[in-house]
Amino acid sequence: MNKKFAMIFAGAALLVVAAPVWAHHSFAAEFDADRPVKLRGNITKMEWINPHAWIHIDVKDASGATASWMVECGSPNTLLRRGLTKASVASGQEIVVDGYQAKDGTNRANGRDVTLPDGRKLFLGTSDGEVGK
Amino acid sequence: MRRGGYILLTLIAIAVLAAVQSLAQASQAPSESATPQANAKTAAAVKNWTPARTPDGQPDLQGVWDTASLTPLERPKELGMKAFYTPEEAAAFEKSRKQENNRDRRDGGAQTDVARAYNEGWFDRGSKLGRNLRTSRVIDPPDGRFPPFTPEAQKHYDAVHAYLEANPANGPEDRPLFERCLVFSQTGPPLIPGNYNNLYQIVQTPGSVTIFSEMGHQARTVPLDEHAKLPQNVTQWMGDSYGHWDGNTLVIETTNVRYNDMSHFGTQYDTGMSDRNMKVVERFTRTAPDLLIYRATVTDPTVYTKPWTIEIPMDKTESAIFEYACHEGNYGIVGILAGERAREKKLAEHR
Repeated sequence: MNKKFAMIFAGAALLVVAAPVWAHHSFAAEFDADRPVKLRGNITKMEWINPHAWIHIDVKDASGATASWMVECGSPNTLLRRGLTKASVASGQEIVVDGYQAKDGTNRANGRDVTLPDGRKLFLGTSDGEVGK
Repeated sequence: MRRGGYILLTLIAIAVLAAVQSLAQASQAPSESATPQANAKTAAAVKNWTPARTPDGQPDLQGVWDTASLTPLERPKELGMKAFYTPEEAAAFEKSRKQENNRDRRDGGAQTDVARAYNEGWFDRGSKLGRNLRTSRVIDPPDGRFPPFTPEAQKHYDAVHAYLEANPANGPEDRPLFERCLVFSQTGPPLIPGNYNNLYQIVQTPGSVTIFSEMGHQARTVPLDEHAKLPQNVTQWMGDSYGHWDGNTLVIETTNVRYNDMSHFGTQYDTGMSDRNMKVVERFTRTAPDLLIYRATVTDPTVYTKPWTIEIPMDKTESAIFEYACHEGNYGIVGILAGERAREKKLAEHR
Protein backbone atom coordinates (compact mmCIF):
# COMPACT_ATOMS: atom_id res chain seq x y z
CA MET A 1 0.00 0.00 0.00
CA ASN A 2 1.45 3.33 -0.92
CA LYS A 3 1.69 6.22 1.48
CA LYS A 4 -1.13 8.24 -0.08
CA PHE A 5 -3.59 5.42 0.45
CA ALA A 6 -2.38 4.76 3.97
CA MET A 7 -3.27 8.35 4.82
CA ILE A 8 -6.64 8.16 3.10
CA PHE A 9 -7.54 5.04 5.06
CA ALA A 10 -6.49 6.70 8.29
CA GLY A 11 -8.95 9.51 7.48
CA ALA A 12 -11.68 7.05 6.53
CA ALA A 13 -11.19 5.17 9.81
CA LEU A 14 -11.78 8.37 11.77
CA LEU A 15 -14.99 9.02 9.88
CA VAL A 16 -16.24 5.52 10.64
CA VAL A 17 -15.60 6.04 14.35
CA ALA A 18 -17.52 9.33 14.18
CA ALA A 19 -20.60 7.75 12.61
CA PRO A 20 -23.26 6.00 14.73
CA VAL A 21 -23.08 2.22 14.46
CA TRP A 22 -26.34 0.37 13.86
CA ALA A 23 -27.48 -3.19 14.40
CA HIS A 24 -31.11 -4.10 13.60
CA HIS A 25 -31.97 -1.54 16.23
CA SER A 26 -29.96 0.95 18.19
CA PHE A 27 -28.27 -0.80 21.10
CA ALA A 28 -27.22 2.62 22.38
CA ALA A 29 -30.94 3.44 22.75
CA GLU A 30 -31.69 0.22 24.63
CA PHE A 31 -28.65 -0.27 26.85
CA ASP A 32 -26.92 2.15 29.20
CA ALA A 33 -23.28 3.01 28.50
CA ASP A 34 -23.04 4.12 32.15
CA ARG A 35 -24.00 0.69 33.44
CA PRO A 36 -21.38 -1.81 32.31
CA VAL A 37 -21.97 -5.32 33.71
CA LYS A 38 -19.92 -8.49 33.83
CA LEU A 39 -22.07 -11.56 34.42
CA ARG A 40 -20.92 -15.11 35.01
CA GLY A 41 -23.71 -17.64 34.92
CA ASN A 42 -25.20 -20.83 33.51
CA ILE A 43 -27.41 -20.93 30.44
CA THR A 44 -31.02 -21.81 31.25
CA LYS A 45 -32.56 -21.10 27.82
CA MET A 46 -31.52 -20.01 24.34
CA GLU A 47 -34.13 -18.05 22.37
CA TRP A 48 -33.01 -18.63 18.78
CA ILE A 49 -35.21 -15.88 17.36
CA ASN A 50 -35.15 -12.85 15.08
CA PRO A 51 -34.47 -10.02 14.98
CA HIS A 52 -32.05 -10.94 17.80
CA ALA A 53 -31.23 -14.10 19.73
CA TRP A 54 -31.50 -13.96 23.53
CA ILE A 55 -29.54 -16.11 25.97
CA HIS A 56 -31.06 -16.59 29.42
CA ILE A 57 -28.62 -17.17 32.27
CA ASP A 58 -28.79 -17.63 36.03
CA VAL A 59 -26.22 -15.56 37.84
CA LYS A 60 -25.27 -16.25 41.47
CA ASP A 61 -24.05 -13.39 43.63
CA ALA A 62 -21.58 -13.61 46.55
CA SER A 63 -24.37 -14.43 49.02
CA GLY A 64 -25.52 -17.36 46.89
CA ALA A 65 -28.73 -15.67 45.67
CA THR A 66 -29.61 -16.35 42.03
CA ALA A 67 -30.76 -13.70 39.59
CA SER A 68 -32.01 -14.45 36.07
CA TRP A 69 -30.66 -12.30 33.24
CA MET A 70 -31.49 -12.03 29.53
CA VAL A 71 -28.64 -11.30 27.14
CA GLU A 72 -29.27 -9.88 23.65
CA CYS A 73 -27.15 -11.07 20.72
CA GLY A 74 -27.46 -10.83 16.90
CA SER A 75 -29.60 -12.43 14.19
CA PRO A 76 -29.38 -16.24 14.34
CA ASN A 77 -29.48 -16.42 10.53
CA THR A 78 -25.78 -15.54 10.28
CA LEU A 79 -24.83 -18.26 12.75
CA LEU A 80 -27.05 -20.83 10.99
CA ARG A 81 -25.16 -20.02 7.81
CA ARG A 82 -21.93 -20.63 9.68
CA GLY A 83 -23.22 -24.05 10.79
CA LEU A 84 -24.21 -23.20 14.35
CA THR A 85 -27.68 -24.02 15.64
CA LYS A 86 -29.62 -23.61 18.84
CA ALA A 87 -28.22 -27.01 19.88
CA SER A 88 -24.66 -25.72 19.60
CA VAL A 89 -25.16 -23.96 22.92
CA ALA A 90 -25.76 -26.40 25.74
CA SER A 91 -28.17 -25.76 28.57
CA GLY A 92 -26.22 -25.45 31.80
CA GLN A 93 -23.10 -24.21 30.00
CA GLU A 94 -21.29 -21.60 32.04
CA ILE A 95 -20.59 -18.36 30.17
CA VAL A 96 -19.22 -14.92 30.89
CA VAL A 97 -21.09 -11.91 29.54
CA ASP A 98 -19.43 -8.53 29.31
CA GLY A 99 -22.00 -5.92 28.32
CA TYR A 100 -24.24 -3.08 29.41
CA GLN A 101 -27.46 -3.21 31.44
CA ALA A 102 -30.81 -2.08 30.02
CA LYS A 103 -31.69 1.58 30.51
CA ASP A 104 -34.85 0.67 32.44
CA GLY A 105 -32.73 -1.09 35.08
CA THR A 106 -34.16 -4.58 34.51
CA ASN A 107 -31.95 -7.68 34.30
CA ARG A 108 -31.29 -7.42 30.59
CA ALA A 109 -27.91 -6.76 28.98
CA ASN A 110 -26.35 -6.83 25.57
CA GLY A 111 -23.82 -9.58 24.92
CA ARG A 112 -21.04 -7.19 23.99
CA ASP A 113 -18.58 -10.03 24.55
CA VAL A 114 -19.87 -13.51 25.27
CA THR A 115 -17.10 -15.93 26.22
CA LEU A 116 -16.56 -19.32 27.78
CA PRO A 117 -14.92 -19.28 31.24
CA ASP A 118 -11.51 -19.90 29.60
CA GLY A 119 -11.86 -16.70 27.56
CA ARG A 120 -12.71 -18.24 24.17
CA LYS A 121 -15.48 -16.38 22.32
CA LEU A 122 -18.74 -18.31 22.11
CA PHE A 123 -19.82 -16.82 18.77
CA LEU A 124 -16.83 -16.70 16.49
CA GLY A 125 -16.67 -15.32 12.99
CA THR A 126 -14.41 -16.94 10.42
CA SER A 127 -11.02 -15.34 9.97
CA ASP A 128 -11.92 -14.01 6.51
CA GLY A 129 -15.44 -12.93 7.42
CA GLU A 130 -17.04 -15.20 4.79
CA VAL A 131 -20.35 -16.87 5.59
CA GLY A 132 -21.64 -19.91 3.71
CA LYS A 133 -20.16 -19.04 0.33
CA MET B 1 -21.78 14.27 25.54
CA ARG B 2 -21.97 11.52 22.93
CA ARG B 3 -22.95 14.03 20.28
CA GLY B 4 -20.08 16.29 21.37
CA GLY B 5 -17.69 13.36 20.97
CA TYR B 6 -18.93 12.66 17.46
CA ILE B 7 -18.59 16.30 16.49
CA LEU B 8 -15.04 16.45 17.83
CA LEU B 9 -14.06 13.26 16.00
CA THR B 10 -15.72 14.51 12.85
CA LEU B 11 -13.74 17.78 13.05
CA ILE B 12 -10.51 15.83 13.49
CA ALA B 13 -11.45 13.64 10.53
CA ILE B 14 -12.21 16.67 8.39
CA ALA B 15 -8.83 18.20 9.28
CA VAL B 16 -7.05 14.97 8.33
CA LEU B 17 -9.04 14.68 5.12
CA ALA B 18 -8.29 18.28 4.15
CA ALA B 19 -4.59 17.54 4.61
CA VAL B 20 -4.71 14.53 2.30
CA GLN B 21 -7.02 16.13 -0.27
CA SER B 22 -4.25 17.29 -2.58
CA LEU B 23 -2.58 13.89 -2.43
CA ALA B 24 -5.89 12.15 -3.10
CA GLN B 25 -6.57 14.26 -6.16
CA ALA B 26 -3.27 13.12 -7.65
CA SER B 27 -4.43 9.50 -7.42
CA GLN B 28 -7.93 10.00 -8.84
CA ALA B 29 -9.02 8.42 -12.07
CA PRO B 30 -10.12 11.28 -14.36
CA SER B 31 -13.49 9.67 -15.10
CA GLU B 32 -15.21 6.35 -15.61
CA SER B 33 -13.81 6.29 -19.14
CA ALA B 34 -10.60 5.07 -17.51
CA THR B 35 -12.26 1.66 -17.42
CA PRO B 36 -10.39 -0.81 -15.23
CA GLN B 37 -9.65 -4.39 -15.99
CA ALA B 38 -12.60 -5.54 -13.89
CA ASN B 39 -15.06 -3.64 -16.05
CA ALA B 40 -13.51 -4.93 -19.25
CA LYS B 41 -13.98 -8.46 -17.95
CA THR B 42 -17.62 -7.75 -17.13
CA ALA B 43 -18.16 -6.30 -20.60
CA ALA B 44 -16.63 -9.39 -22.20
CA ALA B 45 -18.82 -11.63 -20.06
CA VAL B 46 -21.95 -9.74 -21.14
CA LYS B 47 -20.95 -10.10 -24.77
CA ASN B 48 -20.22 -13.82 -24.66
CA TRP B 49 -22.96 -15.14 -22.41
CA THR B 50 -26.75 -15.05 -22.43
CA PRO B 51 -28.97 -16.41 -19.69
CA ALA B 52 -31.12 -19.53 -20.13
CA ARG B 53 -34.87 -19.06 -20.49
CA THR B 54 -37.69 -20.02 -18.16
CA PRO B 55 -40.36 -22.30 -19.69
CA ASP B 56 -42.47 -19.21 -20.53
CA GLY B 57 -39.52 -17.54 -22.28
CA GLN B 58 -38.20 -15.02 -19.71
CA PRO B 59 -34.43 -14.72 -19.19
CA ASP B 60 -33.82 -16.89 -16.11
CA LEU B 61 -32.74 -14.85 -13.06
CA GLN B 62 -33.90 -17.41 -10.52
CA GLY B 63 -31.91 -18.51 -7.51
CA VAL B 64 -30.47 -17.11 -4.30
CA TRP B 65 -28.20 -14.08 -4.63
CA ASP B 66 -25.87 -12.56 -2.06
CA THR B 67 -25.21 -8.81 -2.03
CA ALA B 68 -22.86 -8.68 0.99
CA SER B 69 -19.68 -6.75 0.28
CA LEU B 70 -17.36 -4.23 1.90
CA THR B 71 -18.20 -1.58 -0.71
CA PRO B 72 -19.47 1.54 1.06
CA LEU B 73 -22.77 3.09 0.00
CA GLU B 74 -21.20 6.51 -0.53
CA ARG B 75 -17.64 7.09 -1.69
CA PRO B 76 -15.22 8.53 0.86
CA LYS B 77 -15.01 12.23 -0.06
CA GLU B 78 -11.24 12.19 -0.35
CA LEU B 79 -11.47 9.79 -3.33
CA GLY B 80 -13.20 12.47 -5.40
CA MET B 81 -14.07 11.11 -8.85
CA LYS B 82 -12.10 7.87 -8.47
CA ALA B 83 -14.79 5.26 -9.23
CA PHE B 84 -12.70 2.06 -9.12
CA TYR B 85 -9.88 0.63 -7.05
CA THR B 86 -6.97 -1.18 -8.64
CA PRO B 87 -6.65 -4.76 -7.33
CA GLU B 88 -3.77 -3.62 -5.10
CA GLU B 89 -5.76 -0.72 -3.67
CA ALA B 90 -8.76 -3.02 -3.24
CA ALA B 91 -6.76 -5.45 -1.10
CA ALA B 92 -5.50 -2.58 1.08
CA PHE B 93 -9.01 -1.14 1.42
CA GLU B 94 -10.50 -4.53 2.34
CA LYS B 95 -7.93 -5.04 5.07
CA SER B 96 -8.51 -1.56 6.46
CA ARG B 97 -12.32 -1.75 6.33
CA LYS B 98 -12.46 -5.14 8.04
CA GLN B 99 -10.40 -3.68 10.86
CA GLU B 100 -12.70 -0.63 11.12
CA ASN B 101 -15.85 -2.76 11.06
CA ASN B 102 -14.64 -5.36 13.53
CA ARG B 103 -17.15 -5.45 16.39
CA ASP B 104 -14.77 -7.40 18.59
CA ARG B 105 -12.87 -4.16 19.08
CA ARG B 106 -13.38 -2.58 22.48
CA ASP B 107 -11.72 0.79 21.89
CA GLY B 108 -13.46 4.14 21.47
CA GLY B 109 -15.16 4.59 24.86
CA ALA B 110 -18.36 3.25 26.42
CA GLN B 111 -20.80 4.91 23.98
CA THR B 112 -19.07 3.40 20.95
CA ASP B 113 -18.68 0.10 22.78
CA VAL B 114 -22.38 -0.29 23.56
CA ALA B 115 -23.32 0.81 20.02
CA ARG B 116 -21.13 -1.97 18.60
CA ALA B 117 -23.72 -4.25 20.23
CA TYR B 118 -22.26 -7.79 20.11
CA ASN B 119 -19.47 -9.98 18.81
CA GLU B 120 -18.30 -9.93 15.20
CA GLY B 121 -19.44 -13.54 14.70
CA TRP B 122 -23.04 -12.36 14.28
CA PHE B 123 -22.25 -10.10 11.32
CA ASP B 124 -22.03 -10.90 7.61
CA ARG B 125 -20.93 -7.96 5.52
CA GLY B 126 -18.76 -10.09 3.26
CA SER B 127 -14.99 -9.97 3.29
CA LYS B 128 -14.34 -8.31 -0.07
CA LEU B 129 -15.36 -5.34 -2.16
CA GLY B 130 -18.08 -6.00 -4.71
CA ARG B 131 -16.43 -7.74 -7.62
CA ASN B 132 -16.71 -4.64 -9.80
CA LEU B 133 -14.08 -3.09 -7.45
CA ARG B 134 -16.09 0.11 -7.27
CA THR B 135 -15.21 2.59 -4.54
CA SER B 136 -18.91 3.15 -3.72
CA ARG B 137 -22.34 1.70 -4.41
CA VAL B 138 -23.56 5.12 -5.51
CA ILE B 139 -22.27 5.42 -9.09
CA ASP B 140 -24.10 8.59 -10.10
CA PRO B 141 -23.59 11.49 -9.36
CA PRO B 142 -20.03 10.78 -10.52
CA ASP B 143 -18.56 11.69 -7.12
CA GLY B 144 -20.27 8.58 -5.71
CA ARG B 145 -22.30 10.52 -3.16
CA PHE B 146 -25.98 11.33 -2.72
CA PRO B 147 -26.86 14.66 -4.35
CA PRO B 148 -27.78 17.50 -1.95
CA PHE B 149 -31.30 17.80 -0.59
CA THR B 150 -33.48 20.59 -1.94
CA PRO B 151 -33.63 23.53 0.54
CA GLU B 152 -37.17 22.55 1.58
CA ALA B 153 -36.19 18.93 2.15
CA GLN B 154 -33.12 19.98 4.16
CA LYS B 155 -35.29 22.19 6.35
CA HIS B 156 -37.72 19.35 6.94
CA TYR B 157 -34.97 16.83 7.63
CA ASP B 158 -33.35 19.16 10.18
CA ALA B 159 -36.69 19.80 11.90
CA VAL B 160 -37.48 16.07 12.19
CA HIS B 161 -34.01 15.32 13.55
CA ALA B 162 -34.21 18.19 16.06
CA TYR B 163 -37.54 16.81 17.28
CA LEU B 164 -36.17 13.29 17.57
CA GLU B 165 -33.08 14.51 19.42
CA ALA B 166 -35.41 15.86 22.12
CA ASN B 167 -38.02 13.07 21.82
CA PRO B 168 -36.17 9.90 20.89
CA ALA B 169 -38.90 7.43 21.87
CA ASN B 170 -42.22 8.94 22.92
CA GLY B 171 -43.79 6.02 21.10
CA PRO B 172 -42.85 3.37 18.54
CA GLU B 173 -43.69 5.83 15.74
CA ASP B 174 -40.60 7.85 16.67
CA ARG B 175 -38.31 4.91 15.98
CA PRO B 176 -36.84 3.98 12.57
CA LEU B 177 -38.87 1.70 10.33
CA PHE B 178 -36.36 -1.16 10.62
CA GLU B 179 -36.55 -1.14 14.44
CA ARG B 180 -40.30 -1.57 14.05
CA CYS B 181 -39.75 -4.56 11.72
CA LEU B 182 -41.58 -2.78 8.90
CA VAL B 183 -39.04 -2.32 6.10
CA PHE B 184 -35.26 -2.45 5.90
CA SER B 185 -32.68 -0.93 3.58
CA GLN B 186 -32.33 -4.43 2.12
CA THR B 187 -36.02 -4.73 1.24
CA GLY B 188 -36.00 -1.59 -0.85
CA PRO B 189 -36.65 -0.49 -3.41
CA PRO B 190 -33.85 0.29 -4.01
CA LEU B 191 -32.13 -2.78 -2.54
CA ILE B 192 -29.28 -1.62 -0.27
CA PRO B 193 -27.21 -4.24 1.59
CA GLY B 194 -26.60 -3.92 5.33
CA ASN B 195 -24.68 -5.68 8.10
CA TYR B 196 -26.18 -9.17 7.67
CA ASN B 197 -28.95 -11.19 5.98
CA ASN B 198 -28.16 -9.66 2.58
CA LEU B 199 -29.59 -12.56 0.57
CA TYR B 200 -32.36 -12.42 -2.01
CA GLN B 201 -34.29 -15.14 -3.76
CA ILE B 202 -35.73 -14.44 -7.20
CA VAL B 203 -38.66 -16.57 -8.34
CA GLN B 204 -40.26 -16.17 -11.79
CA THR B 205 -43.74 -17.28 -12.80
CA PRO B 206 -45.58 -16.51 -16.02
CA GLY B 207 -46.54 -12.84 -15.78
CA SER B 208 -44.65 -11.96 -12.60
CA VAL B 209 -41.32 -11.91 -10.79
CA THR B 210 -40.96 -12.16 -6.99
CA ILE B 211 -37.96 -10.67 -5.21
CA PHE B 212 -37.71 -12.06 -1.71
CA SER B 213 -35.43 -10.35 0.81
CA GLU B 214 -34.16 -12.43 3.73
CA MET B 215 -33.85 -9.28 5.84
CA GLY B 216 -37.37 -8.44 6.90
CA HIS B 217 -38.72 -11.63 5.27
CA GLN B 218 -40.34 -9.45 2.62
CA ALA B 219 -41.55 -10.65 -0.77
CA ARG B 220 -42.16 -8.09 -3.52
CA THR B 221 -44.20 -9.69 -6.28
CA VAL B 222 -43.89 -7.61 -9.41
CA PRO B 223 -46.45 -8.05 -12.18
CA LEU B 224 -45.08 -7.80 -15.71
CA ASP B 225 -48.07 -5.69 -16.63
CA GLU B 226 -48.36 -1.93 -16.36
CA HIS B 227 -52.15 -2.09 -16.22
CA ALA B 228 -51.91 -3.60 -12.75
CA LYS B 229 -50.80 -0.24 -11.24
CA LEU B 230 -52.41 1.12 -8.06
CA PRO B 231 -54.24 4.45 -8.09
CA GLN B 232 -52.06 7.42 -7.08
CA ASN B 233 -53.58 7.86 -3.60
CA VAL B 234 -52.78 4.31 -2.45
CA THR B 235 -49.26 4.01 -0.99
CA GLN B 236 -47.35 1.04 0.43
CA TRP B 237 -44.07 0.61 2.34
CA MET B 238 -42.39 -0.99 -0.69
CA GLY B 239 -44.42 1.03 -3.17
CA ASP B 240 -46.21 -0.29 -6.23
CA SER B 241 -43.95 -2.04 -8.73
CA TYR B 242 -44.45 -3.31 -12.24
CA GLY B 243 -41.85 -4.74 -14.57
CA HIS B 244 -40.95 -5.39 -18.18
CA TRP B 245 -38.06 -6.88 -20.10
CA ASP B 246 -35.57 -4.72 -21.97
CA GLY B 247 -33.73 -7.45 -23.88
CA ASN B 248 -32.19 -9.64 -21.18
CA THR B 249 -32.61 -6.98 -18.50
CA LEU B 250 -35.53 -7.00 -16.09
CA VAL B 251 -36.67 -3.40 -15.55
CA ILE B 252 -38.88 -2.65 -12.54
CA GLU B 253 -40.48 0.73 -11.99
CA THR B 254 -41.81 1.63 -8.56
CA THR B 255 -43.97 4.53 -7.41
CA ASN B 256 -46.65 4.99 -4.67
CA VAL B 257 -44.09 4.60 -1.87
CA ARG B 258 -45.46 5.33 1.56
CA TYR B 259 -43.91 8.27 3.35
CA ASN B 260 -43.59 8.30 7.12
CA ASP B 261 -42.45 11.53 8.62
CA MET B 262 -41.76 10.36 12.13
CA SER B 263 -39.48 7.38 11.63
CA HIS B 264 -36.27 9.38 11.35
CA PHE B 265 -36.14 9.34 7.58
CA GLY B 266 -39.51 8.42 6.15
CA THR B 267 -37.45 6.19 3.96
CA GLN B 268 -36.13 2.75 3.25
CA TYR B 269 -32.49 3.72 2.98
CA ASP B 270 -30.24 4.71 5.84
CA THR B 271 -29.30 8.35 6.40
CA GLY B 272 -31.41 9.57 3.49
CA MET B 273 -34.95 10.69 3.01
CA SER B 274 -37.72 10.09 0.52
CA ASP B 275 -41.27 11.22 -0.05
CA ARG B 276 -44.34 10.16 -1.94
CA ASN B 277 -42.98 11.56 -5.23
CA MET B 278 -40.13 9.04 -5.27
CA LYS B 279 -39.76 6.89 -8.37
CA VAL B 280 -37.30 4.00 -8.51
CA VAL B 281 -36.22 2.29 -11.73
CA GLU B 282 -34.34 -0.97 -11.09
CA ARG B 283 -32.46 -2.99 -13.70
CA PHE B 284 -31.47 -6.63 -13.10
CA THR B 285 -29.05 -8.06 -15.69
CA ARG B 286 -27.62 -11.57 -15.40
CA THR B 287 -24.19 -11.21 -16.96
CA ALA B 288 -22.77 -14.63 -16.00
CA PRO B 289 -24.12 -17.85 -14.47
CA ASP B 290 -23.03 -16.63 -11.04
CA LEU B 291 -23.51 -12.86 -11.37
CA LEU B 292 -26.43 -10.47 -11.53
CA ILE B 293 -25.77 -6.76 -11.90
CA TYR B 294 -28.35 -4.67 -10.08
CA ARG B 295 -28.75 -0.98 -10.84
CA ALA B 296 -31.35 1.36 -9.43
CA THR B 297 -32.01 5.01 -10.22
CA VAL B 298 -33.95 7.07 -7.70
CA THR B 299 -35.75 10.22 -8.83
CA ASP B 300 -37.25 12.18 -5.97
CA PRO B 301 -37.51 15.83 -7.11
CA THR B 302 -38.99 17.24 -3.91
CA VAL B 303 -36.14 15.73 -1.86
CA TYR B 304 -33.04 15.50 -4.09
CA THR B 305 -31.66 18.15 -6.42
CA LYS B 306 -30.96 15.45 -9.02
CA PRO B 307 -31.49 11.69 -9.50
CA TRP B 308 -28.98 9.18 -8.12
CA THR B 309 -28.02 5.65 -9.14
CA ILE B 310 -26.56 2.69 -7.25
CA GLU B 311 -24.97 -0.48 -8.60
CA ILE B 312 -24.79 -3.72 -6.58
CA PRO B 313 -23.20 -6.93 -7.90
CA MET B 314 -25.31 -9.91 -6.75
CA ASP B 315 -23.35 -13.16 -6.38
CA LYS B 316 -25.07 -16.52 -6.84
CA THR B 317 -24.96 -18.58 -3.67
CA GLU B 318 -25.96 -22.12 -2.73
CA SER B 319 -26.89 -20.92 0.76
CA ALA B 320 -30.52 -21.26 1.79
CA ILE B 321 -32.65 -18.28 2.72
CA PHE B 322 -33.64 -18.43 6.39
CA GLU B 323 -36.74 -17.09 8.05
CA TYR B 324 -36.56 -13.64 9.63
CA ALA B 325 -39.70 -13.41 11.73
CA CYS B 326 -38.90 -9.97 13.09
CA HIS B 327 -42.08 -9.13 15.00
CA GLU B 328 -41.95 -12.50 16.72
CA GLY B 329 -39.06 -11.64 18.98
CA ASN B 330 -38.66 -7.88 18.79
CA TYR B 331 -38.04 -7.36 22.51
CA GLY B 332 -35.65 -4.57 21.52
CA ILE B 333 -38.36 -2.03 20.74
CA VAL B 334 -39.96 -2.72 24.14
CA GLY B 335 -36.57 -2.23 25.80
CA ILE B 336 -35.98 1.07 24.00
CA LEU B 337 -39.38 2.48 24.99
CA ALA B 338 -39.04 1.22 28.58
CA GLY B 339 -35.58 2.77 28.79
CA GLU B 340 -36.91 6.14 27.67
CA ARG B 341 -39.76 5.98 30.22
CA ALA B 342 -37.18 5.23 32.95
CA ARG B 343 -35.13 8.22 31.84
CA GLU B 344 -38.19 10.50 31.95
CA LYS B 345 -39.05 9.28 35.45
CA LYS B 346 -35.52 9.99 36.62
CA LEU B 347 -35.62 13.47 35.10
CA ALA B 348 -38.99 14.19 36.79
CA GLU B 349 -37.62 13.08 40.18
CA HIS B 350 -34.72 15.50 39.87
CA ARG B 351 -36.92 18.47 39.08
